[in-house]
Amino acid sequence: MVGVTEPRLAGLPDPNAPGEAATAVYPDWESVYQDNVVGIYRLVFRRVGNAADAEELAAEVLMQTLKTLRLPAPVHNVRAYLVKTARTVMADHWRRHYAARDAAIELERLPADALVAPPNSESAERAQRLLGLLPDHFKRILELRFLRGYSVREAANEMGVTESNARVMQFRALRKAAELEKEVLA
Amino acid sequence: MTDNAADRVGRFVDDLLHGRKPRRFVASQEEAEAMTAAAGLVAGRIGADIPDKAALDRIHRKLSEALDESPVIDFRPTRRTWLRTLGTAAAAVVVGVALDEVATHQSAGPDGGAATVLMPDNGTWRPVAAVTQLPAGHAMPVSTGSVDAVVINDSGNISAVSGICTHLGCKLEPDDATRKLNCPCHQTAFSWSGKVLYYRLKSAPATLPKIPARVNDGQIELFVV
Repeated sequence: MVGVTEPRLAGLPDPNAPGEAATAVYPDWESVYQDNVVGIYRLVFRRVGNAADAEELAAEVLMQTLKTLRLPAPVHNVRAYLVKTARTVMADHWRRHYAARDAAIELERLPADALVAPPNSESAERAQRLLGLLPDHFKRILELRFLRGYSVREAANEMGVTESNARVMQFRALRKAAELEKEVLA
Repeated sequence: MTDNAADRVGRFVDDLLHGRKPRRFVASQEEAEAMTAAAGLVAGRIGADIPDKAALDRIHRKLSEALDESPVIDFRPTRRTWLRTLGTAAAAVVVGVALDEVATHQSAGPDGGAATVLMPDNGTWRPVAAVTQLPAGHAMPVSTGSVDAVVINDSGNISAVSGICTHLGCKLEPDDATRKLNCPCHQTAFSWSGKVLYYRLKSAPATLPKIPARVNDGQIELFVV
């Protein structure tokens, strides 16, 4: 059953993990959809940050996977294939829309377990930890923008800098956050 | 007006924070990294990366159109169809029509079988729990003595399915976080609608029978013997 106000919160389970469904089987595409759609959506959302792209790409991941797979198929095989497809689809998205060749390659090289969507609370905690590692002024601008929803102008006023400076600071803070994400939190 | 990396990424961030699909542009490696970090921060906002009902509906419809050879069998319309049927059944009780005519197959199961509504000959509506005991998004095992069931509150819609695995009769364990009914015996999982999600048996077990459920005077009632 789908389309509810409280969707399944489970992320995409680790396809290599022993236990839960090592030899379980998905009987048909509906089962694959029901069991994975939220996990795939969240996985994609973490990389695109907006609902429109996440919906489009999640549908694309499921579509490509389900058109290729012959069902019934083992759960772990299907999930592994979903993750592999998600990597390719997301990399293609970055390449196509932002010509971001290097980012795309990086996405393709990510290990399968790096793409397992953690619970939302964990994503929030991770974001908080990341902010905590930044120098104060970087942390401040990102907090104002991403957590408190300030516009660039409002954030600039709050910090006593020009709007242009706030925008540059935001860019540098995001780059630093990306660096830290790779180095410290990986 | 010059358009530098900070401006481009700034626009990208603005789009994300306003829930818009970002404008496309050619990004440098540095910009792409900053944009990825921004996407991660947006995803870290509580609840931001949870898809809404409309998004899931659209994804499902897209897949149905591409993958189903036959007309789409959607859980929600199926459930509505079932509820309509139950409405008919309830009316049938009132006018004294034999209920066993309603115990028909309602929707295709994953094994090519069918979901059956458990409609006993001499059934009666029996309260099994107060509505307040079952908040939205939860499933709860109940027993009437003759029938083990799981009652479900799916966004305010109360329904019930058999609480017994159709493979060998183990009692199902609801897992609200994943919206599954898990069989502890052989790693089979059912959806809240009773559909087999996955199994590790030689063949798919049957779909769980549905049990007529209603809310009456604050009580969840099942139609059982």
